[in-house]
Amino acid sequence: MSAILSADDLNDFISPGVACIKPIETLPEDKSNAYEVTTEDKVAASQPPPPAQISLTDCLACSGCVTSAEAVLVSLQSHTEVLTTLDTHRSLHTPWLAHSGTNGTKHACNGTHNGANGHHCGEGKLFVASVSPHTRASLAAVFSISEAEAGNMIAQLLSGPLGLKNGGAHGSDFTWVIDTNVVREACLVAAANEVVTALSPEASSTPLTAGSEGAIDTTPKKPILTSACPGWICYAEKTHPFLLPHLSRLKSPQALTGTLIKSVLSQRYNIPPSQIWHLAIMPCFDKKLEASRSELTSAAWLPHHSSSQDPVRDVDCVITARELLHLAAARNIAFSSLPRTPLPSSQRTPFPDPKIDAFLFPPTRRKNKDPIAGSSGGYLYHILQTYQAQHPGSSISVSRGRNADVVEYSLVRNSETIVKMARFYGFRNIQNLVRRLKPAKISKMPGARVGRSRKPGANGAAGGEGVKEYAYVEVMACPGGCTNGGGQVKVTEVEEVRAAEGIKAVNGDVVVARPGPKEQKEWLGRVDEAYFSGSGSDSEEEKVDRDGDWGMKDVDAPTTNGSSVPGADVVSGISRTHIWNLLSHWSDTTGVEIPKLLYTSYRKVESDVGKKKQSDVERVAGLASSLGGGW
Amino acid sequence: MPPPQNASVITIQPLATLSPPCSSRTWQSTPHPTLPVIATACSDRTVRVYSLTSFTLLHSITGGHKRSIRAVSWKPGVKGQSVLATGSFDASAGIWRRDERGLAEDTQRERAGDWDGDEEGEDDDYQFSCILDGHESEIKSLSWSPSGQYLATCSRDKSVWIWEELEDDNFETIAVLQEHEGDVKCVAWHPEEDLLASASYDDTVRLYKEDADDWVQVAMIDGHKKTVWWVEFEGSEMSARDFRAHREGLSEQRAHHVEQLERSGPRLATSSDDCSVRIWRRKPREGSAQTSSRLGMPNIIRSVAIDEEWFQETILPQQHERAIYSLSWSRRSGMIASAGSDGKILVYKERWKNVMPNGVKADGTVDHSDSDAMEGVENASLTEWVVVAELFSAHDVFEINHVCWAKRSDKGRRSEDEEVIVSTGDDGEVKVWVLEER
Repeated sequence: MSAILSADDLNDFISPGVACIKPIETLPEDKSNAYEVTTEDKVAASQPPPPAQISLTDCLACSGCVTSAEAVLVSLQSHTEVLTTLDTHRSLHTPWLAHSGTNGTKHACNGTHNGANGHHCGEGKLFVASVSPHTRASLAAVFSISEAEAGNMIAQLLSGPLGLKNGGAHGSDFTWVIDTNVVREACLVAAANEVVTALSPEASSTPLTAGSEGAIDTTPKKPILTSACPGWICYAEKTHPFLLPHLSRLKSPQALTGTLIKSVLSQRYNIPPSQIWHLAIMPCFDKKLEASRSELTSAAWLPHHSSSQDPVRDVDCVITARELLHLAAARNIAFSSLPRTPLPSSQRTPFPDPKIDAFLFPPTRRKNKDPIAGSSGGYLYHILQTYQAQHPGSSISVSRGRNADVVEYSLVRNSETIVKMARFYGFRNIQNLVRRLKPAKISKMPGARVGRSRKPGANGAAGGEGVKEYAYVEVMACPGGCTNGGGQVKVTEVEEVRAAEGIKAVNGDVVVARPGPKEQKEWLGRVDEAYFSGSGSDSEEEKVDRDGDWGMKDVDAPTTNGSSVPGADVVSGISRTHIWNLLSHWSDTTGVEIPKLLYTSYRKVESDVGKKKQSDVERVAGLASSLGGGW
Repeated sequence: MPPPQNASVITIQPLATLSPPCSSRTWQSTPHPTLPVIATACSDRTVRVYSLTSFTLLHSITGGHKRSIRAVSWKPGVKGQSVLATGSFDASAGIWRRDERGLAEDTQRERAGDWDGDEEGEDDDYQFSCILDGHESEIKSLSWSPSGQYLATCSRDKSVWIWEELEDDNFETIAVLQEHEGDVKCVAWHPEEDLLASASYDDTVRLYKEDADDWVQVAMIDGHKKTVWWVEFEGSEMSARDFRAHREGLSEQRAHHVEQLERSGPRLATSSDDCSVRIWRRKPREGSAQTSSRLGMPNIIRSVAIDEEWFQETILPQQHERAIYSLSWSRRSGMIASAGSDGKILVYKERWKNVMPNGVKADGTVDHSDSDAMEGVENASLTEWVVVAELFSAHDVFEINHVCWAKRSDKGRRSEDEEVIVSTGDDGEVKVWVLEER
């Protein structure tokens, strides 16, 4: 559903829809004498209305026209925006860091910059990038390399000597390139914690007050629904507000990475968050929407944030794999010719907090090696494994639903079902999920006679009991999950991308003139393969440890559990204690409570269109039909 | 193009106007698959169910939709009850049921055969049973598949949805097809296969099939110059009923044409804003793949084989002056009726083309090699469609939104197979017409 939000498709631009009400909503300025008599002509002539401004938020709240929102979006977050920012601002560099290291006072991070570096600070920015594993998998499939190699190449481009540093007005580049998979570990642990806590019998079932559904400090209702997919969140907020109480309050890996980077760096270096520029490279255009959310800014976590300050977004810009290639091309860098090796550790700037440094840049990397966990980060599977660890002797059973994008998971022990979860990917399956979660009364048609033979509560959502039994549902808008995100290189684009990079088809690829659904599936299979294996044809190379290189290396997640006690600390190679220690440390460092860092909120997005202005709609309808059967 | 040869030996005569008429625009009337009743979608948010025996109103289905009801479709193959789907400009579809076991109608009951009627008051009415929502804007058309397993809906939001009824009132969305670039005007199912067609404001018709859990577009028909308003498949096994029925003495060429048509299966008719009605035919598969599909011969590379190729067989004589909103392809005679913005009703019939006096080839001469004939395209000229009846201003100055054939059920019926034409107009009237030989 998100593929339309592509810069490449902007030729479908349409003018704002007939239903767009925003431009005409200007209030007359009331400065003249209220009793003065005048004519309409005079009024019109004397007061030119201010230019109408339509913000992205306005557009998102309106179903009138999608493409206007899209245009605003794409112009705000694109590879050109990255280039412009790099050309406008110098990147802040290490010598400055060494001096101003940790001597800043703890909360003095608002507005004023370090005096000793006044000049640099004024226009300098600290550039940080975060890269999703899906983007790496997409590029890996395009160039027939391993996922780790793709990650190395991205790092080479963003901060290597042959990369962006070589060009631009100031030779600016990115100081850190972070793998969002690392931060995802914190998300997974927190997600499991959220579900287990919310569904435990002790959980306080505080009645929700009107309007607080989806608020940050409320406990989500069963079944808890994944909130990491921005396309899904946008849809839920706009069209199905009754789902808000079910949404996980947890931030997505992109958002959490943003909060982590901005809060820690601004504190450690004593610079305002606005001086840190965070670029995320994602599989999905809707991640641009997520980055624009007003909930995900410094206002949510900056201590002593005052309303006079402009909130700074945790993620400044989101680009996709295709746009990353455009970015390289714009600087005359052939992406495919970048070294596939990690950057040498000697060139690396340590993150200014040793504990967080060790977390963000681990010596070994956990792989997404289990296809059973799905292609979207493995939320459900991690939560399920957490339950399994609490229930010794239990086993996980997986059954496929109506189609490949519906999968049901249950944890069973001796014929007793402990917990049930499910995965719903893709818009058509989301429809069925949503319909079954819909309260019965909304489904009824007001005023319609209801059949007396019908069961009470029966509606289009009949059979909803099964859905309501799920503890957790992993929902993603794209069929096939995040590896099939709208921002990934599509099968139809692969040849074009390869040609632009001067590469021929590799590995015996058959060039299909007009790729169809079958080719699309095969292509997705290859991206999935890259995502799950993290290794390509020549994976041997990666295992060579080039003395102290800090780049990405594939190492199987440690499976030694340390303790034989079930329910122990390590689930799927991630230590809960380790993650909570880190979160506490982060909280202590920044002086912000953990929930404020981890969680966010959702709100009903109301559209004015078609409500108060019902008559307008009818008028337009009448007009259309009088012009010759517009319906 | 030579002027269309009008074989106007038939006139369209008024039989009745369903009463009472609606006070506002009516959109579409769909005859019940088995009973002598017809449901009319009205812009006053109601559906009116009229008797085709007495031509009077039997039921008014009210109080469900918030805006105009644009389309109605009866579920086929249901026993003991009538199931009606309604598609509305309020973006939702409704499912309504009526128990027919205790059929209590004040109209002639003899046609209802074994149903015995005792009055049950409220139960006599259509009862709302569930709502299907998901579309973002006005639903324009909806249609049950011939098996009754699927319901297709289409909308101004450019999408086509397929719903499957798993059990009573438990519907699942099994596909959301977003291939069209504009308002989708009409959906229709193939009479024998689970093949769906949709027509759109983007001037195209698209066809969809299921391929391993996923419904995918298998063909795109591009030929109309403007909005395609209506799409409808030919009935099943029409060769026994239309011009092909008389097989004796057919020339080899004509016999071959009949065989080619059989291999293509039911054809597709479309009507458009470009004032044309066009007939499309599926290109038979190479070898025996097409004919063997029913025998369950496994096809190894399914995705490759699923694509279909449809080509334009012919354009019907162009005698409409404005948009043609609707057409109906008779399941009994193979004739086509069309109507639209110009208020005209036209009836067309297909027949073998007589060879022109100056024709090079005499009828029956076989000069095509077999491989040429396999293409199936040049054979199209063996037949022609002629206008057999034409009626002006059927609804006075008003547009005709819908036209369809229905089985004649009133007392004046002259044969078991006799049909009437039902036209639905902007004037709120639904009129019933008979064809009279001159």
